[in-house]
Amino acid sequence: MSLWENIKMALMSVRAHKMRSILTMLGIIIGVAAVIVVVAIGQGGEAMLKSQIAGDGNSIEVFYQPSEEEMQQGKWEENPFTQEDIRQLEGIEKVSNVVASSSEFSTARLRDEEAETSITGINEAYLDVNQLKVEEGRSFTSADFLGGRRVAVVSAAMQEELFEGESPIGEIIRIGVQPVEVIGVLEKPTGLFAFGSVEAYIPWTSMRNMLGTSNYSQVTLQVQNADDIQPIGDRATTVLNQLHDTEDSYQVINMEEIAQGIGQVTTIMTTIIGSIAGISLLVGGIGVMNIMLVSVTERTREIGIRKSLGATRQQILLQFLVESIILTLIGGIIGIVLGAGTAYLVSFFADWPSLISWQVVLGAVLFSMLIGIAFGLLPANKASRLDPIDSLRYE
Amino acid sequence: MIQLEDITKSYSLGKEAVNVLRGISLEIKSGEFVAIMGPSGSGKSTLMNIIGCLDRPTTGSYYLNEEDVSQHKDQELAKVRNQSIGFVFQQFQLLPRLTALKNVELPMVYAGASKKEREERARDALAKVGLQDRVAHLPNELSGGQKQRVAIARALVNDPSLILADEPTGALDTETSVAIMDLFVQLNQEGTTIVVVTHEPEVAEYANRVIYVRDGLLGQNPLEKGGQTQ
Ligand SMILES: Nc1ncnc2c1ncn2[C@@H]1O[C@H](COP(=O)(O)OP(=O)(O)O)[C@@H](O)[C@H]1O
Ligand SMILES: [Mg+2]
Repeated sequence: MSLWENIKMALMSVRAHKMRSILTMLGIIIGVAAVIVVVAIGQGGEAMLKSQIAGDGNSIEVFYQPSEEEMQQGKWEENPFTQEDIRQLEGIEKVSNVVASSSEFSTARLRDEEAETSITGINEAYLDVNQLKVEEGRSFTSADFLGGRRVAVVSAAMQEELFEGESPIGEIIRIGVQPVEVIGVLEKPTGLFAFGSVEAYIPWTSMRNMLGTSNYSQVTLQVQNADDIQPIGDRATTVLNQLHDTEDSYQVINMEEIAQGIGQVTTIMTTIIGSIAGISLLVGGIGVMNIMLVSVTERTREIGIRKSLGATRQQILLQFLVESIILTLIGGIIGIVLGAGTAYLVSFFADWPSLISWQVVLGAVLFSMLIGIAFGLLPANKASRLDPIDSLRYE
Repeated sequence: MIQLEDITKSYSLGKEAVNVLRGISLEIKSGEFVAIMGPSGSGKSTLMNIIGCLDRPTTGSYYLNEEDVSQHKDQELAKVRNQSIGFVFQQFQLLPRLTALKNVELPMVYAGASKKEREERARDALAKVGLQDRVAHLPNELSGGQKQRVAIARALVNDPSLILADEPTGALDTETSVAIMDLFVQLNQEGTTIVVVTHEPEVAEYANRVIYVRDGLLGQNPLEKGGQTQ
């Protein structure tokens, strides 16, 4: 008797007891759906967190964090990145941009108006890499940077504060006591958490001339390829620590460690909820076993008839085993559909990505079949061992 | 074709052993039509089950078609039941969820025949017992006589050399019984060996030979000895 024959027979028997079959499958359905949802949301969340940490545009920030010893030796610097540092960093292979800046707080004045503002002296790559777009007026030119021209691009918030919404282009404002010409206004930041703050950007060279700032306080590297972030970050810190003769003052976030940390958290979560789902699957499996045992008893006479007609023990065993596998497999497939739907709803309403990989789906299918085999074996074995004569006599 | 040598069968009920068959030797030749008679509880069904390879004797040997089937393993016995023997039971023993056609196909399913061949031969078998227009009926849509015809069609569909019928007319009225027995006669004339268990003398009359069982032993015709059949 072919496997296909057995499958058709099993489907018939499942259909003959629809309600009972569905109730039997329920444990499997819930278990599989729970696993799918948990894994989908877990993997989605992990991917989201990782992409957030990696930052936009393949960039990595270099930190300056001297050790206690070095602090005691008085090695601490407010603006730890020199012009030479930047040049060296730009020389590292596969670095596409080195973004450097230095910020200070100051007061901006226009005639009688005053506004507290942050002044950021930037290098040429800054606006592009940080995806700051000039909406009105013009952006900086290379000549502005080279010549240390006293020109500024201001934030939309500054336009509100100082110019009461009027166009500031061409106006001269004073930062501290130094006059600066406004040449552009930045696009308003969008997004839920973007607060427009009062800011002015000027070429770093101008900042040095105006305020006497000697070095950069912040450096971010942009690399060509996301995979290069970690090795190039490490290379950059080596270069900087060498240049400054420091042990480990220049650092980058270790992306791998953080990714590992996140991975660990999601693994723990997935394990916990996964084991709950596993228990549900176990209970589901026991339910299947229970119903299959009932089914074997109910069909004792059928088994006797089949045996009298020449069915071997193996054929009877296979018949009932296939039936329990079909039960759990259908339950598993319903569970996958239900779980995928739930994961989709969660990601839709919670704005949290969910990933359903084919590996998880395949795993769920195989696992539910495995449960069918594990919990179907006992009833099927019982069926196959029934004595044909006793079975034929069974009422 | 059938050769039983000193067959015994005993069951243990608690400490006591119940000896149902107590040493039966008999031979049935190919092409015979034999009736087994005897009072209720005498061991007729037990004997039939051993002949039909559904059960094994406790001691003794059984040769079916020159093969010592008392030494066969379960799997080999299943094959013998499938290929060489057709069963007909008093209670018909049809699968209630399957149509007449599907019921008749069952022995061929276990023989591994193709779907097409199964259907063809099942239709032929049903036509032979006069049920060509009832193939799609479920057992509970058929009368007792029709059910037994389906069972006979199922018994003969794998072309067995031996058909065993344990009280095949026990649940049928006289008229239907006659029709069923005529079917057995027809099958016997076509060469199939037939063994029928019955306690009705009218049924036994169809046979060429009658074997009497009493208390697990072969006996004489009780009528000749002035006894009484049940
Ligand atoms: N499995 C069994 N265990 C114990 N006793 C049995 C069993 N099967 C049959 N018997 C006994 O064997 C005797 C013969 O039974 P059976 O062959 O069915 O008789 P018959 O068919 O002639 O009426 C009966 O007394 C019955 O109770
Ligand atoms: Mg009997």
